Amino acid sequence: MVSGKPSKLKSFKSSRNFNFILILLCLSLVFLGKLDLIAIRNIKGFLSDFLAPITYALNKPVKEIAGVFEDVKSAGSLREENIRLKSEIRKLNVINSKASSQEHELLELRELLKVLPKRKNQIITARAITAPGGIFANTVLINAGKDYGVKIGQPAISPLGLVGFVVNVGIKTSRIILIIDINSMIPIYLTSSNWPAIVQGQSGELLKIKFLSSKAKPIEGEMVQTSGHGGKFPSGINVGKVVKSFSGNFYVKPSIDFQRLTYISIITNKNSLPIFPKSFQGFAPLQKPKSSISLKGLNLSGKRIIESKEN
Amino acid sequence: MLNFQKSLSFLPFFEIATPNIISIILYLSIIRFRINPSNTTLFLVGLVHDIITGANLGITPIFLLLLKYLTESLFLDRLVKKSDDEWISFTIIFLFSFSIVLLLNVMMNLSIPQFSPIFFHIGITLILFPLINISINFFSFVTKLIKS
Repeated sequence: MVSGKPSKLKSFKSSRNFNFILILLCLSLVFLGKLDLIAIRNIKGFLSDFLAPITYALNKPVKEIAGVFEDVKSAGSLREENIRLKSEIRKLNVINSKASSQEHELLELRELLKVLPKRKNQIITARAITAPGGIFANTVLINAGKDYGVKIGQPAISPLGLVGFVVNVGIKTSRIILIIDINSMIPIYLTSSNWPAIVQGQSGELLKIKFLSSKAKPIEGEMVQTSGHGGKFPSGINVGKVVKSFSGNFYVKPSIDFQRLTYISIITNKNSLPIFPKSFQGFAPLQKPKSSISLKGLNLSGKRIIESKEN
Repeated sequence: MLNFQKSLSFLPFFEIATPNIISIILYLSIIRFRINPSNTTLFLVGLVHDIITGANLGITPIFLLLLKYLTESLFLDRLVKKSDDEWISFTIIFLFSFSIVLLLNVMMNLSIPQFSPIFFHIGITLILFPLINISINFFSFVTKLIKS
Protein backbone atom coordinates (compact mmCIF):
# COMPACT_ATOMS: atom_id res chain seq x y z
CA MET A 1 0.00 0.00 0.00
CA VAL A 2 1.40 3.35 -0.93
CA SER A 3 0.45 6.24 1.31
CA GLY A 4 -0.51 9.62 -0.18
CA LYS A 5 2.09 11.66 1.71
CA PRO A 6 5.35 10.74 -0.14
CA SER A 7 3.69 11.18 -3.54
CA LYS A 8 2.35 14.57 -2.39
CA LEU A 9 5.82 15.55 -1.21
CA LYS A 10 7.29 14.43 -4.52
CA SER A 11 4.81 16.44 -6.53
CA PHE A 12 5.38 19.43 -4.25
CA LYS A 13 9.14 19.17 -4.81
CA SER A 14 8.76 18.85 -8.57
CA SER A 15 6.37 21.82 -8.54
CA ARG A 16 8.94 23.81 -6.58
CA ASN A 17 11.63 22.93 -9.12
CA PHE A 18 9.34 23.94 -11.94
CA ASN A 19 8.62 27.19 -10.08
CA PHE A 20 12.36 27.84 -9.85
CA ILE A 21 12.85 27.10 -13.57
CA LEU A 22 10.05 29.49 -14.45
CA ILE A 23 11.59 32.23 -12.28
CA LEU A 24 14.89 31.75 -14.17
CA LEU A 25 12.99 31.90 -17.45
CA CYS A 26 11.35 35.15 -16.35
CA LEU A 27 14.73 36.60 -15.42
CA SER A 28 16.08 35.80 -18.86
CA LEU A 29 12.92 37.33 -20.36
CA VAL A 30 13.51 40.53 -18.39
CA PHE A 31 17.05 40.80 -19.78
CA LEU A 32 15.92 39.91 -23.30
CA GLY A 33 13.17 42.51 -23.07
CA LYS A 34 15.71 45.12 -22.08
CA LEU A 35 17.77 44.34 -25.19
CA ASP A 36 14.81 45.67 -27.21
CA LEU A 37 14.89 42.92 -29.84
CA ILE A 38 12.69 43.49 -32.88
CA ALA A 39 11.02 40.09 -32.50
CA ILE A 40 10.00 40.80 -28.89
CA ARG A 41 8.83 44.27 -29.88
CA ASN A 42 6.66 42.77 -32.65
CA ILE A 43 5.21 40.14 -30.32
CA LYS A 44 4.42 42.85 -27.76
CA GLY A 45 2.76 44.96 -30.47
CA PHE A 46 0.71 42.03 -31.72
CA LEU A 47 -0.41 41.03 -28.22
CA SER A 48 -1.26 44.63 -27.34
CA ASP A 49 -3.47 44.78 -30.45
CA PHE A 50 -5.10 41.53 -29.45
CA LEU A 51 -5.66 42.47 -25.80
CA ALA A 52 -6.68 46.10 -26.37
CA PRO A 53 -10.45 45.53 -26.76
CA ILE A 54 -10.53 43.23 -23.70
CA THR A 55 -8.57 45.74 -21.63
CA TYR A 56 -10.83 48.57 -22.74
CA ALA A 57 -13.95 46.60 -21.84
CA LEU A 58 -12.57 45.60 -18.44
CA ASN A 59 -11.48 49.14 -17.64
CA LYS A 60 -14.85 50.61 -18.51
CA PRO A 61 -16.70 49.89 -15.20
CA VAL A 62 -13.96 51.39 -13.01
CA LYS A 63 -13.70 54.36 -15.37
CA GLU A 64 -17.44 54.93 -15.07
CA ILE A 65 -17.26 54.75 -11.25
CA ALA A 66 -14.38 57.21 -11.29
CA GLY A 67 -16.53 59.49 -13.46
CA VAL A 68 -19.35 59.35 -10.91
CA PHE A 69 -16.91 60.28 -8.11
CA GLU A 70 -15.67 63.17 -10.21
CA ASP A 71 -19.22 64.38 -10.90
CA VAL A 72 -20.19 64.25 -7.23
CA LYS A 73 -17.00 66.09 -6.29
CA SER A 74 -17.54 68.84 -8.86
CA ALA A 75 -21.27 69.18 -8.05
CA GLY A 76 -20.39 70.31 -4.53
CA SER A 77 -18.27 73.17 -5.73
CA LEU A 78 -20.26 74.31 -8.76
CA ARG A 79 -20.87 77.85 -7.48
CA GLU A 80 -17.23 78.50 -6.60
CA GLU A 81 -16.15 76.93 -9.87
CA ASN A 82 -18.52 79.20 -11.79
CA ILE A 83 -17.17 82.35 -10.12
CA ARG A 84 -13.59 81.21 -10.72
CA LEU A 85 -14.28 80.44 -14.38
CA LYS A 86 -15.93 83.83 -14.94
CA SER A 87 -12.91 85.66 -13.57
CA GLU A 88 -10.65 83.42 -15.61
CA ILE A 89 -12.60 84.26 -18.79
CA ARG A 90 -12.15 87.98 -18.06
CA LYS A 91 -8.41 87.49 -17.60
CA LEU A 92 -8.17 85.38 -20.76
CA ASN A 93 -10.01 88.03 -22.78
CA VAL A 94 -7.40 90.62 -21.79
CA ILE A 95 -4.57 88.20 -22.59
CA ASN A 96 -6.19 87.31 -25.89
CA SER A 97 -6.44 90.92 -26.99
CA LYS A 98 -2.79 91.50 -26.09
CA ALA A 99 -1.71 88.28 -27.78
CA SER A 100 -3.38 89.10 -31.09
CA SER A 101 -1.59 92.44 -31.31
CA GLN A 102 1.70 90.79 -30.39
CA GLU A 103 1.11 88.06 -32.93
CA HIS A 104 0.78 90.66 -35.66
CA GLU A 105 4.00 92.31 -34.52
CA LEU A 106 5.76 88.95 -34.38
CA LEU A 107 4.72 88.11 -37.94
CA GLU A 108 6.11 91.42 -39.17
CA LEU A 109 9.38 90.91 -37.33
CA ARG A 110 9.69 87.35 -38.63
CA GLU A 111 9.22 88.64 -42.13
CA LEU A 112 11.89 91.29 -41.62
CA LEU A 113 14.37 88.79 -40.20
CA LYS A 114 13.58 86.12 -42.81
CA VAL A 115 13.11 83.53 -40.11
CA LEU A 116 12.96 79.92 -41.24
CA PRO A 117 9.32 78.87 -41.14
CA LYS A 118 8.35 76.26 -38.62
CA ARG A 119 7.67 72.76 -39.87
CA LYS A 120 4.01 72.00 -39.87
CA ASN A 121 3.40 68.82 -37.94
CA GLN A 122 0.60 66.47 -38.76
CA ILE A 123 -1.24 65.43 -35.66
CA ILE A 124 -3.53 62.49 -35.08
CA THR A 125 -5.55 62.15 -31.91
CA ALA A 126 -6.40 58.82 -30.33
CA ARG A 127 -8.17 57.58 -27.22
CA ALA A 128 -6.25 56.23 -24.24
CA ILE A 129 -7.30 52.64 -23.61
CA THR A 130 -5.47 51.79 -20.41
CA ALA A 131 -4.92 53.53 -17.09
CA PRO A 132 -1.52 55.16 -16.73
CA GLY A 133 -0.78 54.10 -13.16
CA GLY A 134 1.89 51.61 -12.23
CA ILE A 135 4.76 51.21 -9.84
CA PHE A 136 7.32 50.02 -12.36
CA ALA A 137 5.91 51.29 -15.65
CA ASN A 138 4.02 54.42 -16.55
CA THR A 139 2.66 53.80 -20.01
CA VAL A 140 -0.61 54.27 -21.83
CA LEU A 141 -2.04 52.30 -24.72
CA ILE A 142 -3.83 54.29 -27.43
CA ASN A 143 -6.09 53.05 -30.20
CA ALA A 144 -3.98 54.20 -33.15
CA GLY A 145 -1.11 52.26 -34.64
CA LYS A 146 0.74 51.68 -37.87
CA ASP A 147 -2.51 52.08 -39.81
CA TYR A 148 -2.49 55.78 -38.84
CA GLY A 149 1.21 56.29 -39.47
CA VAL A 150 2.33 56.13 -35.84
CA LYS A 151 6.01 55.27 -35.47
CA ILE A 152 8.33 54.62 -32.56
CA GLY A 153 9.82 57.79 -31.06
CA GLN A 154 7.06 60.17 -32.14
CA PRO A 155 6.08 62.67 -29.44
CA ALA A 156 2.69 62.44 -27.74
CA ILE A 157 1.01 65.63 -26.60
CA SER A 158 -2.21 66.88 -25.10
CA PRO A 159 -3.60 70.44 -25.08
CA LEU A 160 -1.79 71.09 -21.79
CA GLY A 161 1.63 69.88 -22.86
CA LEU A 162 3.95 66.95 -23.45
CA VAL A 163 2.61 63.51 -22.52
CA GLY A 164 5.50 61.30 -23.62
CA PHE A 165 6.60 59.44 -26.70
CA VAL A 166 5.74 56.27 -28.59
CA VAL A 167 7.74 53.19 -27.58
CA ASN A 168 5.87 50.36 -29.23
CA VAL A 169 3.59 50.23 -32.23
CA GLY A 170 1.12 47.57 -33.26
CA ILE A 171 -1.20 47.63 -36.25
CA LYS A 172 -4.11 49.15 -34.35
CA THR A 173 -2.57 50.25 -31.04
CA SER A 174 0.52 52.06 -29.81
CA ARG A 175 2.15 52.30 -26.42
CA ILE A 176 3.22 55.67 -25.08
CA ILE A 177 5.78 55.99 -22.34
CA LEU A 178 4.82 58.91 -20.09
CA ILE A 179 7.30 61.60 -19.12
CA ILE A 180 6.95 60.51 -15.48
CA ASP A 181 8.31 57.04 -16.28
CA ILE A 182 11.78 56.27 -15.02
CA ASN A 183 12.96 55.45 -18.56
CA SER A 184 11.92 58.80 -19.99
CA MET A 185 14.41 61.64 -20.51
CA ILE A 186 13.37 64.88 -22.18
CA PRO A 187 15.65 67.76 -23.26
CA ILE A 188 14.16 70.96 -21.87
CA TYR A 189 14.98 74.58 -21.18
CA LEU A 190 13.93 76.94 -18.43
CA THR A 191 11.81 79.59 -20.12
CA SER A 192 12.87 82.53 -17.93
CA SER A 193 16.61 82.00 -17.99
CA ASN A 194 16.95 79.88 -21.17
CA TRP A 195 19.18 77.32 -19.43
CA PRO A 196 19.00 73.89 -21.08
CA ALA A 197 18.71 70.70 -19.05
CA ILE A 198 17.21 67.24 -19.13
CA VAL A 199 14.26 66.06 -17.09
CA GLN A 200 13.97 62.45 -16.06
CA GLY A 201 10.88 60.70 -14.74
CA GLN A 202 10.99 59.03 -11.35
CA SER A 203 7.82 56.93 -11.54
CA GLY A 204 6.27 59.53 -9.26
CA GLU A 205 4.59 62.86 -9.78
CA LEU A 206 7.76 64.95 -10.11
CA LEU A 207 10.52 65.00 -12.72
CA LYS A 208 14.18 65.20 -11.79
CA ILE A 209 16.22 67.99 -13.41
CA LYS A 210 19.55 66.67 -14.67
CA PHE A 211 22.56 68.25 -16.38
CA LEU A 212 21.51 71.77 -15.39
CA SER A 213 24.41 74.20 -15.26
CA SER A 214 25.59 75.16 -11.79
CA LYS A 215 25.26 78.80 -12.87
CA ALA A 216 21.54 78.38 -13.51
CA LYS A 217 19.18 79.65 -10.88
CA PRO A 218 15.76 78.11 -11.41
CA ILE A 219 12.81 80.12 -10.14
CA GLU A 220 9.91 78.40 -8.44
CA GLY A 221 6.90 78.40 -10.77
CA GLU A 222 9.04 78.95 -13.87
CA MET A 223 7.69 77.27 -16.98
CA VAL A 224 9.69 74.45 -18.55
CA GLN A 225 9.42 73.62 -22.25
CA THR A 226 11.02 71.17 -24.64
CA SER A 227 14.23 72.55 -26.10
CA GLY A 228 14.15 70.52 -29.30
CA HIS A 229 17.74 69.38 -28.78
CA GLY A 230 18.41 66.04 -30.42
CA GLY A 231 15.56 66.55 -32.86
CA LYS A 232 13.30 64.03 -31.17
CA PHE A 233 10.78 66.53 -29.84
CA PRO A 234 9.75 69.83 -31.40
CA SER A 235 10.77 72.82 -29.31
CA GLY A 236 8.34 74.85 -27.25
CA ILE A 237 6.04 72.13 -25.94
CA ASN A 238 5.02 72.70 -22.34
CA VAL A 239 6.49 70.17 -19.91
CA GLY A 240 5.62 71.65 -16.54
CA LYS A 241 6.59 74.10 -13.82
CA VAL A 242 9.64 74.25 -11.56
CA VAL A 243 8.88 73.36 -7.95
CA LYS A 244 11.17 73.42 -4.93
CA SER A 245 11.27 70.50 -2.54
CA PHE A 246 11.71 70.70 1.25
CA SER A 247 15.35 69.72 0.80
CA GLY A 248 15.89 72.73 -1.46
CA ASN A 249 16.24 70.73 -4.68
CA PHE A 250 14.38 71.77 -7.78
CA TYR A 251 12.01 69.45 -9.62
CA VAL A 252 9.55 69.82 -12.46
CA LYS A 253 5.87 69.20 -11.88
CA PRO A 254 4.25 68.11 -15.16
CA SER A 255 1.45 70.33 -16.42
CA ILE A 256 -0.62 67.25 -17.30
CA ASP A 257 -2.79 65.28 -14.95
CA PHE A 258 -1.95 61.81 -16.24
CA GLN A 259 -4.88 60.20 -14.45
CA ARG A 260 -7.34 62.26 -16.48
CA LEU A 261 -5.82 61.53 -19.87
CA THR A 262 -8.54 60.56 -22.30
CA TYR A 263 -7.29 61.76 -25.66
CA ILE A 264 -3.67 61.90 -26.74
CA SER A 265 -2.32 63.48 -29.91
CA ILE A 266 0.68 62.08 -31.76
CA ILE A 267 2.85 64.30 -33.90
CA THR A 268 3.25 62.02 -36.89
CA ASN A 269 5.39 64.39 -39.02
CA LYS A 270 3.89 62.89 -42.14
CA ASN A 271 4.21 66.02 -44.22
CA SER A 272 7.56 67.08 -42.84
CA LEU A 273 9.56 68.78 -45.54
CA PRO A 274 13.32 68.60 -45.97
CA ILE A 275 14.98 71.66 -44.45
CA PHE A 276 16.68 72.64 -47.69
CA PRO A 277 14.75 71.46 -50.77
CA LYS A 278 16.51 71.14 -54.15
CA SER A 279 15.07 74.37 -55.42
CA PHE A 280 16.12 76.28 -52.32
CA GLN A 281 16.47 79.99 -52.99
CA GLY A 282 16.62 81.47 -49.55
CA PHE A 283 14.26 81.51 -46.65
CA ALA A 284 10.67 82.14 -47.58
CA PRO A 285 8.99 84.73 -45.39
CA LEU A 286 5.79 83.90 -43.65
CA GLN A 287 2.55 84.84 -45.30
CA LYS A 288 1.05 88.15 -44.32
CA PRO A 289 -2.20 87.92 -42.44
CA LYS A 290 -5.14 88.35 -44.77
CA SER A 291 -6.60 91.84 -44.77
CA SER A 292 -10.11 90.47 -44.44
CA ILE A 293 -9.33 88.88 -41.12
CA SER A 294 -10.38 91.06 -38.27
CA LEU A 295 -7.78 91.29 -35.55
CA LYS A 296 -9.65 91.59 -32.34
CA GLY A 297 -7.50 93.25 -29.73
CA LEU A 298 -5.01 96.07 -29.70
CA ASN A 299 -3.09 97.36 -32.66
CA LEU A 300 0.54 98.49 -32.56
CA SER A 301 -0.36 101.98 -31.38
CA GLY A 302 -2.30 100.48 -28.51
CA LYS A 303 -5.72 101.33 -29.92
CA ARG A 304 -8.31 98.64 -29.51
CA ILE A 305 -9.73 97.18 -32.71
CA ILE A 306 -13.00 95.41 -32.33
CA GLU A 307 -14.62 95.44 -35.75
CA SER A 308 -13.15 94.03 -38.94
CA LYS A 309 -11.29 96.31 -41.36
CA GLU A 310 -13.88 95.82 -44.02
CA ASN A 311 -16.58 97.24 -41.75
CA MET B 1 -8.09 40.67 -11.56
CA LEU B 2 -4.75 42.17 -12.62
CA ASN B 3 -6.57 44.35 -15.09
CA PHE B 4 -8.99 45.46 -12.39
CA GLN B 5 -6.03 46.25 -10.15
CA LYS B 6 -4.53 48.46 -12.82
CA SER B 7 -7.80 50.16 -13.67
CA LEU B 8 -8.14 51.22 -10.03
CA SER B 9 -5.74 54.05 -10.82
CA PHE B 10 -8.67 55.82 -12.50
CA LEU B 11 -10.10 56.35 -9.01
CA PRO B 12 -8.92 59.54 -7.31
CA PHE B 13 -7.91 57.72 -4.13
CA PHE B 14 -5.45 55.45 -5.97
CA GLU B 15 -3.90 58.17 -8.09
CA ILE B 16 -0.44 57.69 -6.59
CA ALA B 17 -0.41 53.90 -6.76
CA THR B 18 -2.82 50.99 -6.80
CA PRO B 19 -2.91 48.24 -4.15
CA ASN B 20 -1.54 44.82 -5.02
CA ILE B 21 -4.84 42.95 -4.75
CA ILE B 22 -3.60 39.96 -6.74
CA SER B 23 -0.97 39.16 -4.09
CA ILE B 24 -3.64 39.18 -1.34
CA ILE B 25 -5.92 36.92 -3.36
CA LEU B 26 -3.10 34.55 -4.28
CA TYR B 27 -1.93 34.31 -0.67
CA LEU B 28 -5.42 33.79 0.74
CA SER B 29 -6.32 31.23 -1.91
CA ILE B 30 -3.26 29.15 -0.95
CA ILE B 31 -3.51 29.59 2.82
CA ARG B 32 -7.23 29.67 3.44
CA PHE B 33 -8.89 27.88 0.56
CA ARG B 34 -6.04 25.50 -0.34
CA ILE B 35 -6.46 26.45 -3.99
CA ASN B 36 -3.07 26.20 -5.56
CA PRO B 37 -2.83 27.94 -8.92
CA SER B 38 -0.36 26.23 -11.23
CA ASN B 39 3.01 27.79 -11.96
CA THR B 40 2.24 27.94 -15.67
CA THR B 41 -0.99 29.85 -15.02
CA LEU B 42 0.84 32.39 -12.85
CA PHE B 43 3.58 32.72 -15.46
CA LEU B 44 1.11 33.35 -18.28
CA VAL B 45 -1.08 35.69 -16.22
CA GLY B 46 1.98 37.69 -15.22
CA LEU B 47 3.16 37.92 -18.82
CA VAL B 48 -0.24 39.17 -19.97
CA HIS B 49 -0.17 41.76 -17.18
CA ASP B 50 3.27 42.95 -18.27
CA ILE B 51 2.06 43.29 -21.84
CA ILE B 52 -1.01 45.27 -20.75
CA THR B 53 0.95 47.59 -18.45
CA GLY B 54 4.01 47.90 -20.68
CA ALA B 55 6.35 46.86 -17.88
CA ASN B 56 9.52 44.83 -18.48
CA LEU B 57 8.46 41.38 -19.66
CA GLY B 58 8.84 38.88 -16.85
CA ILE B 59 8.63 41.20 -13.84
CA THR B 60 5.08 40.31 -12.75
CA PRO B 61 5.55 36.53 -13.29
CA ILE B 62 8.65 36.67 -11.06
CA PHE B 63 6.64 38.45 -8.36
CA LEU B 64 3.73 36.00 -8.55
CA LEU B 65 5.95 32.91 -8.67
CA LEU B 66 8.05 34.17 -5.77
CA LEU B 67 4.93 34.89 -3.76
CA LYS B 68 3.64 31.38 -4.39
CA TYR B 69 7.01 29.78 -3.70
CA LEU B 70 7.45 31.60 -0.39
CA THR B 71 3.86 31.03 0.71
CA GLU B 72 4.09 27.32 -0.06
CA SER B 73 7.53 26.36 1.10
CA LEU B 74 8.71 28.77 3.76
CA PHE B 75 5.78 29.93 5.80
CA LEU B 76 2.78 27.75 5.17
CA ASP B 77 3.30 25.12 7.86
CA ARG B 78 5.90 26.69 10.08
CA LEU B 79 4.72 30.21 10.77
CA VAL B 80 1.00 30.38 10.25
CA LYS B 81 -0.44 28.75 13.33
CA LYS B 82 -3.28 31.13 14.02
CA SER B 83 -5.29 33.40 11.81
CA ASP B 84 -3.70 36.40 13.59
CA ASP B 85 -0.32 35.34 12.22
CA GLU B 86 -1.60 35.47 8.66
CA TRP B 87 -1.14 39.20 8.42
CA ILE B 88 2.45 39.02 9.69
CA SER B 89 3.37 36.17 7.38
CA PHE B 90 1.72 37.95 4.43
CA THR B 91 3.67 41.12 5.26
CA ILE B 92 6.95 39.21 5.30
CA ILE B 93 6.22 37.31 2.09
CA PHE B 94 4.89 40.36 0.25
CA LEU B 95 7.74 42.63 1.34
CA PHE B 96 10.35 40.03 0.42
CA SER B 97 8.87 39.34 -3.05
CA PHE B 98 8.31 43.04 -3.71
CA SER B 99 11.85 43.99 -2.64
CA ILE B 100 13.34 41.44 -5.02
CA VAL B 101 11.25 42.74 -7.92
CA LEU B 102 12.04 46.34 -6.98
CA LEU B 103 15.75 45.56 -6.84
CA LEU B 104 15.52 43.91 -10.24
CA ASN B 105 13.81 47.00 -11.63
CA VAL B 106 16.41 49.32 -10.16
CA MET B 107 19.13 47.17 -11.70
CA MET B 108 17.43 47.16 -15.10
CA ASN B 109 16.73 50.91 -15.17
CA LEU B 110 19.94 51.96 -13.39
CA SER B 111 18.06 54.57 -11.39
CA ILE B 112 16.10 54.66 -8.17
CA PRO B 113 12.42 55.56 -8.49
CA GLN B 114 10.55 57.99 -6.25
CA PHE B 115 9.72 56.31 -2.96
CA SER B 116 6.33 57.84 -2.21
CA PRO B 117 4.34 55.69 -4.73
CA ILE B 118 6.21 52.58 -3.57
CA PHE B 119 5.43 53.22 0.09
CA PHE B 120 1.83 53.98 -0.79
CA HIS B 121 1.62 50.75 -2.80
CA ILE B 122 3.03 48.67 0.08
CA GLY B 123 1.02 50.48 2.72
CA ILE B 124 -2.33 50.27 0.99
CA THR B 125 -1.78 46.56 0.21
CA LEU B 126 -0.96 45.79 3.83
CA ILE B 127 -3.96 47.80 5.02
CA LEU B 128 -6.28 46.05 2.57
CA PHE B 129 -5.17 42.56 3.59
CA PRO B 130 -6.92 42.44 7.00
CA LEU B 131 -9.98 44.16 5.51
CA ILE B 132 -10.33 41.51 2.81
CA ASN B 133 -9.58 38.81 5.39
CA ILE B 134 -12.25 40.11 7.77
CA SER B 135 -14.83 40.35 4.99
CA ILE B 136 -14.07 36.72 3.97
CA ASN B 137 -14.45 35.66 7.63
CA PHE B 138 -17.72 37.54 7.84
CA PHE B 139 -19.10 35.90 4.71
CA SER B 140 -18.05 32.44 5.84
CA PHE B 141 -19.65 33.12 9.25
CA VAL B 142 -22.89 34.23 7.61
CA THR B 143 -22.97 31.20 5.29
CA LYS B 144 -22.33 28.87 8.25
CA LEU B 145 -25.10 30.61 10.17
CA ILE B 146 -27.51 30.21 7.28
CA LYS B 147 -26.58 26.54 6.87
CA SER B 148 -27.05 25.80 10.57
